[in-house]
Amino acid sequence: MTAGRRWAIGAWLVLVATCIAVISRTSFTTDISAFLPRSPTPEQRVLVDQLREGVVSRLILIGIDGAPQEALAQASRRLAAGLRNHAGFVSVENGEDIGAAQDREFLWRNRYLLSDAVTPERFSAIALRERLEEYLRLLASPAGALARRILPGDPSGELLHILERFEGQARPARRNGVWFSPDGRRALLIAQTRAAGYDIDAQERALAAIRSAFAPAGAAEARLLMTGPGVFSVSTRATIRGDALRFFVIAAVLIAALLLAIFRSPRVLALALLPVATGAAAGIAAVSLGFGAVHGVTLGFGITLLGEGVDYSIYLLTQSAPGTAPQRALDRIWPTLRLGVLTSICGFSAMLLSGFSGLAQLGMFSITGLVVAALVTRWVLPSLLPPGFTAPAAAACGPWALAAVRRAPALRYPLLVMVVLAVAVLAAGRGSLWTDDLSTLSPVSRSAQLLDQQLRRDIGAPDVGHLVVIHAPQEDAVLQAAEAVGASLRGAARAGLLDGYESPSDYLPSRRTQQARRAALPDPAVLRANLERALAGLPYRREVFEAFLKDAAATKEMPFIERGSLRGTRLALRLESLLGSRYDGWVAMLPLRGVTDAAGIARQIAAPPGASAVMLDLKGESDRLYRTYRTEALTYSLAGAAAIVLLLLASLRSPQRVFVVLAPLTAAVLVTAGALVLAGFQLSIFHLVGLLLVVAVGSNYSLFFDRQAPSGWDRERTIVSLLFANVTTLIGFGLLAFSGVPVLHDIGLTVGMGALLALVFSAILSRHDGEGTARAAEGRNAAST
Amino acid sequence: MAIVNRPAASRAPAVLLLAVALGASPPVLAAAAADWGVEQLMQALAAVKSSKARFVERKHMAILNAPLESSGTLVYVAPARLEKHTLAPRAESLVLDGDDITITSSEPGQRRMLNLQDYPLIRAFVESIRSTLAGDLPTLTRFYEVELAGNERKWRLTLKPGEPGMQEVVREIRISGGSGSISAIETIETNGDRSVMTITGDGP
Repeated sequence: MTAGRRWAIGAWLVLVATCIAVISRTSFTTDISAFLPRSPTPEQRVLVDQLREGVVSRLILIGIDGAPQEALAQASRRLAAGLRNHAGFVSVENGEDIGAAQDREFLWRNRYLLSDAVTPERFSAIALRERLEEYLRLLASPAGALARRILPGDPSGELLHILERFEGQARPARRNGVWFSPDGRRALLIAQTRAAGYDIDAQERALAAIRSAFAPAGAAEARLLMTGPGVFSVSTRATIRGDALRFFVIAAVLIAALLLAIFRSPRVLALALLPVATGAAAGIAAVSLGFGAVHGVTLGFGITLLGEGVDYSIYLLTQSAPGTAPQRALDRIWPTLRLGVLTSICGFSAMLLSGFSGLAQLGMFSITGLVVAALVTRWVLPSLLPPGFTAPAAAACGPWALAAVRRAPALRYPLLVMVVLAVAVLAAGRGSLWTDDLSTLSPVSRSAQLLDQQLRRDIGAPDVGHLVVIHAPQEDAVLQAAEAVGASLRGAARAGLLDGYESPSDYLPSRRTQQARRAALPDPAVLRANLERALAGLPYRREVFEAFLKDAAATKEMPFIERGSLRGTRLALRLESLLGSRYDGWVAMLPLRGVTDAAGIARQIAAPPGASAVMLDLKGESDRLYRTYRTEALTYSLAGAAAIVLLLLASLRSPQRVFVVLAPLTAAVLVTAGALVLAGFQLSIFHLVGLLLVVAVGSNYSLFFDRQAPSGWDRERTIVSLLFANVTTLIGFGLLAFSGVPVLHDIGLTVGMGALLALVFSAILSRHDGEGTARAAEGRNAAST
Repeated sequence: MAIVNRPAASRAPAVLLLAVALGASPPVLAAAAADWGVEQLMQALAAVKSSKARFVERKHMAILNAPLESSGTLVYVAPARLEKHTLAPRAESLVLDGDDITITSSEPGQRRMLNLQDYPLIRAFVESIRSTLAGDLPTLTRFYEVELAGNERKWRLTLKPGEPGMQEVVREIRISGGSGSISAIETIETNGDRSVMTITGDGP
């Protein structure tokens, strides 16, 4: 062993030790937000914060179906009763009137402070008279029984006014006393966990509690459905863990079996896996150092590296000639291999530069892994191989593979037709080629996303389509701003721009407003006189209204409403979801209903000095965000493709050869994209990245096809090695196509299909049509090396 | 609660309408039978498939010096449709079909719908009349303790609520009829307030 090789092996050992040290201190995450775009604006940050830890993140929507309505209603009651006693839940609502009494009591006690109709004029004789006449009509109507109960304490109609404002809020329908979907087939509940949504362990415990409370509560055949951010985090973690482990084991077993069949030696098998194992360790260590933590999806993606990185040792081991040192084979193929690695790096760079930290991790992992695998193949592997090693299976497959390749060019015209068809499909569908849906980027499976949409629709969960987000330094300032914005929104509603809105100041008015409302109540003597005049000539008994005079007087002495005043009511939950503190102040959120002119509303709202108000169109905003990221991904992908072209031009020094190398890859990309569209997929960023990887991975094949083999034996071995390499790549990426995690599924499907096509197309478009091989090879050998 | 076509203008708030104290029932033809009792009365009532009538309702309330009076028409179509069209003092119509109640008021565009299942109290009210008209004794006894007095020519059903929620509001509902048709419904509330609806036939 030469000194150089000893150094190489020493350096490799140091690298392995370092990687192990780094990995042992690495934290692994499955946080979903790594695969959501980084949010560029403060408002979107607020929303992402809310999604991570706000009330929204702690809601679990529960559905129970698959049994008769009465059984479902009973299961819902029992489940709710079981969970209400559980420490892990802040509240559990299922439509039963539990807590409604506290709500009514709070609203009744504070009606004069909460009603935005309260002004000094409201209690004039004329206004009171008007209200009393209206009450008279109400009393005669079918609604009389309730009106009669409220009237004595509230002749000015404040409670009715407050309830009328709340009425627009969507609530699920009730059947048998509990919430049901509109079709009456699914009982619905909303549970709020104590722990934040990102606390996956706590969320997992909460889900387990729901399941165990359901087991005795449910009718035997009833089915429990759950959705919500917490459910997503938990299931995503489980899926990622499950997929990563399962596919890793399957891929490892399949690849090992293949290698064993080729090399018929456990020792060579171990050596063949050495570069890729080192590469994977280096990749994880690099991501850990670069990002601080490694995402579970990155590990899942490592499987593809296994398929891709093992190719390098396959090229070397399969092409080793009997009776010669492995170093000779290496010297022969290294220029081509090096170029292949470099083009792969160009491809993965597009991922590295992406705005998604998740995708960037995958890029860094792959680039590091491939570079290290190639270096180990180049410097370490040859000195460890048994001298004179040759792969027995390669000899068996050789003639067959060579014959297939000789006949492949006959398929040129069918290939041309396929490409033309693919282009036609892509051109026909160009309007709807790309998905605009941000949710396609989420690692949450599509079936889970569908269930989520369905339950949300059933439950009438707040449609957060449009939202006004207000910031201010203090709680009271943000409430004042919310009231000011609310006034503009009422104006906009009168103009028909929207149906209504909800505001935290509905439940907790600002101090200034509460003071003004309290001051609007006249002194007891004045109020009594006004009432006397209002009652003249009406059929009411005077003494009935003593309750009103007493309450009005009491309100003047009552403490103001504070956050704590709502404790124990369900309104506290609503308030908490609309009003929150952040590190730099307070945020109020005003969800809008029935928006018909978002731009018009945006023009009308204005926050008072010191506060800021922004109108968000959530769907539009996230679509815009997605398009930005897609444009970015497209740009990087095109840049990556351009880099590959430049790299090939610089290395091959012949536009004609570059064309020959790229033609099968371009055809593979077009046909893959066409097939995806034809199969009904809308292309996502992940498909796009996958297509670039087809070029990066496939370039190895076309480069080896293009390479001038010095002899027939050499060419045969090259083709066999490509075949084996392609199969391992297929195993790696193809398996991912079965993953439930969209990012893994999309990339796996695209690259698996594309890599296979790239190899087949390379063979079809190969210029070496058998007879001319030797002659052509001799003529160009000098030029190419 | 499903609400359609909500106007921005002020209107009778939904919460009030939740307490729809239905008082309605058209006259029905009695089918005479021997050994007359609740079963026979129910059979006779069930035989009527549709009817129409005029009503006058008087509400006596402790908070008022004088009773409030309203009047209009009633329509019943077996087994589950009931319409109460109030014409005076203010036009308002209330249509009950299955579990859905639609309320339309005279002011244009004011129409709202609610589902009986959402409001157990209203449901109890509604069933007192509808189940009587339909001759549906099982449903009636689910909500009330039923007592029959009188004879086939002049009878009176007394319904006492069985559910605590209803017991809090209503002491009893008295439905009286003669010669096979309902002639009056009297609702007596726990606080002593009382409404009497007198029904005069308009032919089937």
